[in-house]
Amino acid sequence: MADTHASHTGHRVEDLRLVTGAGKYAADWSLPGQLYAHFVRSDRAHAEIVSVDVEKARSHPGVKRVYTGEDALRAGYDKFFVIVNWPGRGGQHIRKPARPALAAGRVRHVGDAVAMVVADSAAAAQDAAELVAVEYRDLPAVVVAEDALAEGAPQLRADVPGNLAFDYEAGNEEAVKAAFAGAAHVTRLKLEVSRVAPNPLELRGCTVQYDAKDETYHLYVCIQGINMLRKQMAFATDVPEERIVVHAQDVGGSFGQRSAAYPEYCVLMLASKELGKPVRWISSRAEGFASDTHGRANTVAGELALDAEGKFLALRLDWIADMGAYLTATGSASHTRNPATCLTGVYRIPALYGRFRLAFTNTVPVAAYRGAGRPDVAYVIERVVSQAAAELNIDPAELRRRNFIPPEAFPYKTPTGSTYENADMPRILEKALKLADWKGFAKRRAQSEKAGRLRGIGISTVIENTGAGLFPKDQITIECGRDGIVTVHTVAHSSGQGHETTFAMVVADTLGIPLEKVRLREGVPGKGLIGNHTGGSRSLVGAGSVCKLAARQLVEHGKSVAAEPLGVEPSQVEYAHGVFRTRGSKRKLSLADLARERPLTVTTEASVGSTFPNGCHISEVEIDPQTGVASIVAYNAVDDAGNVVNHAVVEGQVHGAVTQGAGQIFCEKVVYDHDTGQLLTGSFMDYCMPRAGMLRDLRIEDHPVPSGNNSLGAKGVGESGCTASLPSLANAMMDALRPLGVAHLDMPYTPAAVWHAIQSVKK
Amino acid sequence: MYALNYVKARSLEEAARMLASHPEAKVLAGGMTLVPTLKQRLARPSHLVDILQLAELRGIAAKGGRLSIGAASRHDDVATSVVVKKAIPALAELAGLIGDPQVRNMGTIGGSLANNDPAADYPAAVLGLGATVFTNRREIAADEFFQGLFATALEEGEIITRVVFAVPKRAAYAKFHHPASGYAMAGVFIALTRDGVRVAVTGAGPGVFRWKAAESALSKSLEPSALEGAALDASELNQDIHASRDYRANLVRVMAKRALAKLSGKK
Repeated sequence: MADTHASHTGHRVEDLRLVTGAGKYAADWSLPGQLYAHFVRSDRAHAEIVSVDVEKARSHPGVKRVYTGEDALRAGYDKFFVIVNWPGRGGQHIRKPARPALAAGRVRHVGDAVAMVVADSAAAAQDAAELVAVEYRDLPAVVVAEDALAEGAPQLRADVPGNLAFDYEAGNEEAVKAAFAGAAHVTRLKLEVSRVAPNPLELRGCTVQYDAKDETYHLYVCIQGINMLRKQMAFATDVPEERIVVHAQDVGGSFGQRSAAYPEYCVLMLASKELGKPVRWISSRAEGFASDTHGRANTVAGELALDAEGKFLALRLDWIADMGAYLTATGSASHTRNPATCLTGVYRIPALYGRFRLAFTNTVPVAAYRGAGRPDVAYVIERVVSQAAAELNIDPAELRRRNFIPPEAFPYKTPTGSTYENADMPRILEKALKLADWKGFAKRRAQSEKAGRLRGIGISTVIENTGAGLFPKDQITIECGRDGIVTVHTVAHSSGQGHETTFAMVVADTLGIPLEKVRLREGVPGKGLIGNHTGGSRSLVGAGSVCKLAARQLVEHGKSVAAEPLGVEPSQVEYAHGVFRTRGSKRKLSLADLARERPLTVTTEASVGSTFPNGCHISEVEIDPQTGVASIVAYNAVDDAGNVVNHAVVEGQVHGAVTQGAGQIFCEKVVYDHDTGQLLTGSFMDYCMPRAGMLRDLRIEDHPVPSGNNSLGAKGVGESGCTASLPSLANAMMDALRPLGVAHLDMPYTPAAVWHAIQSVKK
Repeated sequence: MYALNYVKARSLEEAARMLASHPEAKVLAGGMTLVPTLKQRLARPSHLVDILQLAELRGIAAKGGRLSIGAASRHDDVATSVVVKKAIPALAELAGLIGDPQVRNMGTIGGSLANNDPAADYPAAVLGLGATVFTNRREIAADEFFQGLFATALEEGEIITRVVFAVPKRAAYAKFHHPASGYAMAGVFIALTRDGVRVAVTGAGPGVFRWKAAESALSKSLEPSALEGAALDASELNQDIHASRDYRANLVRVMAKRALAKLSGKK
């Protein structure tokens, strides 16, 4: 697997800075004269706020001001941007109830912000926050989405009957009903895709500085892209976008969680303007668990109808999504439209239908999380397909092979309206089966049995629709300055994706100059670029591919500028390896020399739509039946990420995403107390993150089928590892447990859960 | 963290004096539990009296069938000590299973015992080996020292100085790590002492305890099958979102068997 780009084959250029403590994160901004904010948060799941007494806090030494829900309402800060703007079932629109930036009247989840104290030190703000006396009247809480939708459930909002935020459907219900009626076999599974806390390494933080001179708010904050945050902040505060300037350099992980405009930022804006000083807030980890958005949280019943030959006839999903206490920008789209676009998986299924119901509960709001609904839908489809294979006693690889969309059927229009560009599933499958030694599994299982362990093999074959973005195009500016350095400007912000390496490689290779001569600048304020955030696996495909177009344009622009000093017509100028030459003569002028006299700047744009990364992941697990401990003993991934710019970066994405998937499958889960709504997994003592040793021998191969939709031929790769690993690992666990008689077990497969499942089938 | 006074004691005597004159003072050793507690504002001592550097609390020595470990010895000191490895290898192994490298290079044996976290590892060794806890005032036998959830026989202002172990014939520890925290979800320490078999269990109950039924079973036979019939009342064990009582009871039995296998030189 050769790199298509030659300028750099080593490791990421940003890593030395990041691992030697030279990165600059949200908490590293320190502004002269800054004040410090601390939030008072609800310690209960659902309650009426009877009173908020701030007198003691206000008179605490060092305290400047205490803000409450009344301040938020007075400022009009009670609405947040939601992507979903299309109708659902029966033409009904999504219900967007008010969300005051500080809770007013009611608290709706543990961690809901009730007040903000601003003081001249962080300690004084925290001390004073303890003096804010909130009187509550408890209300019944509901923390499970299915419970919230059930009859007789506590009604969380008068303007949301039945706690149903949105009822959405995709596909053809009648066609599916008819197909099921004529099916030879039907497989049914109801699955939980558990709620997880994304937990980026960097804690959330924001410092706001209001500049009275030009009535501008400067936000120093962890983000995925400046434009997406500005757009949302403008929506929430009615401050025009051009008066909101977002500053960010390094971001320590995002996973969708850093894409949102959080209510805390609005109150910080209010305070900075009123107090005339920068106001800074840095979250604690405990605060993060209870106020940073959560991910997944779906319960899905899947049904697959097959004919006598094992051909898929129809698929039906009944999907219940937990939105938490409030809608976020991305949560509702992630768990309706996103899964609907990939509802057919990699299979030719004539009839599809999905119904998606979004429920409010008394929990932390849910937003996009690495994959944003696509891992969830792939999980359900792939679990159901492997279950069908087991029920029909067909090899799960063979059942998939029989039902793949054949390569010649692409571009393939799915029954739910997506058009998949391309994929070569049959060959990817064969490659993966070989890599994993599928045929040798029975032997390995027998060996494990001899050692007293259960062994299972799991397969997933997946595709996903990547590239969602709020903005219609991506722009890149390239400047070649007097120092000969080529500076590339983008909106797509890295939070670990390695843009400084890959984007710079694209430009260096297109210009034929050394990588050291190219610098990437992300989200520099005032550049005025239109472009999308980093999310939806879109940054290389979108902004990265425009880098190539911009570099080409720089060459063309350079030719026209170089023509004069070279004394020829622009059409007579050629360019290669950093040097302009005249055609047929010996005169030449380097890009650097040209720029020394005449700095060059170009801005280029493109509208890049969806790409469809796909792949097959085959994993093996071993279970110690005495303790229920499961270990991943083999993991094989064959991925089609289109053309690859940098293999180290792509493999890093796969490692990270597969490990994140393994975390969700084996240990991660946010747990709320069913009755009180208290958050029971509020620290790393109780919330189990995946450990480095979990995946030891990850074998990766690629099978690139270039995308035609962007100049690089690349496909998104940031999330596909999550999409493939969730079902692969769960199928491996079920394959190990099924022979014992365990019909079903939900994630996470913790030692205790696995042991209990084994006990339950023992006589 | 709330504002407090930090005092670095120059002697054990000075530390004791500070504690006596400030009833809200707390002893700081490695701080691996105390410091996070302070950071979360879950404790509000007036003073921290730092005893970590006191020479009186350092040193590991074996003599006359007894192993003495100074209270301020770090977990890593014990895990890597040639003296400990020779005298009671299971103790060195146990110390190496505590926390992570950062914790092992700060946390101390005295701090761990004084805190008596129900899922800590050291209490299993100290109780399992029937060790003696020495303080600046007296000696306390392990059987008297541990008194349930975060409770010990230590009086106000009393400071652990060292722990003395009688070297057993053989000993072994098997631990099941809590998946999130890394503490023991069940840890079983088995020692063949001159006074008989002792079995101590940590992590599974509200505090470290001796599994007497296993002790009497093993005093008859050291075969793993001897443990099958040893009674264990699951209703007295912990239950939480991570593990049921039944699962913890199972872990105790499985870990006991694994410790026994190690003891017998099997894998």
